[in-house]
Amino acid sequence: MKELFPAKHVMGFVFSLILTGVALVVYFMDMSFTAGMTVLLITAFAQATLQVVLFMHAGESTDKGSIYVSVIYGIVIAIFTVLGTLLAMIWGYV
Amino acid sequence: MNINKTQPLEYSTEQGRLNILGFWIFIGAEVMLFATLFASYFTLFDRTGNGPSGSEIFEITPVLIETLLLLTSSFTIGLGVHAMRIGNKQAMMSFFIVTLVLGAAFLGVEIYEFVHYVNVGAGLQVSAFTSILLTTLGTHGLHVTFGLFWGIMILMQVKKRGLTPQTANKSFIFSLYWHFLDVVWIFIFSFVYLKGMM
Repeated sequence: MKELFPAKHVMGFVFSLILTGVALVVYFMDMSFTAGMTVLLITAFAQATLQVVLFMHAGESTDKGSIYVSVIYGIVIAIFTVLGTLLAMIWGYV
Repeated sequence: MNINKTQPLEYSTEQGRLNILGFWIFIGAEVMLFATLFASYFTLFDRTGNGPSGSEIFEITPVLIETLLLLTSSFTIGLGVHAMRIGNKQAMMSFFIVTLVLGAAFLGVEIYEFVHYVNVGAGLQVSAFTSILLTTLGTHGLHVTFGLFWGIMILMQVKKRGLTPQTANKSFIFSLYWHFLDVVWIFIFSFVYLKGMM
């Protein structure tokens, strides 16, 4: 039974629960927008990295270079899309 | 067929290895798809018109239940892939079934949430905000729905054919998809719900 629950996976799960708990701080505590967004950005990206590296085994294939390039490319385009839209539609007017 | 015994079963053929790489490229494209939805959501967030705003309709309890269900399902499918690698077909199938049950429960809570939104006057056509909210959540929910059917097909193949390089490869790719849905949910949980209730 024990071999079915490797410590690495259990630790990863516990860590993702802790990160969810930390993110909840912004709901239960009165925080400024900047402080709250900082907490959320850190916890969300930490959780995403945890999933990709630990559970999705991104780094263990012989294709890991290509895998990381395609994921990072997707993330860079995603960030440009979101920040570019915010700049053009919201931040540019205040 | 050339089978590389030094690799886990799902990577053991060149076709299998390239299928996995191809799926990662697909995930990269999915990241961009959800980025366009998030960009639109942030733009339309305060365009509520005569409808309710996010902080008026979001409820923490169903959102937390959904988050825990999806996080746990991501953990159990990880255990499923681990069981597959040590060649334990029975345990692997059990973990995949638990994953799909948790996914179905998630979907149940999300459907309850959508019905609740419509009941409190936040239907799809009420305002730009409710449109983009339900479109973003709905796109993720549709992915989960698709994943449920896909997972059932995978389980049927594993049951019938056992753990071969092909079925192991398909199961692994399905696990990538499922983990990715969890990643998207983490961003929805943080930047739609928690940011909206902050």
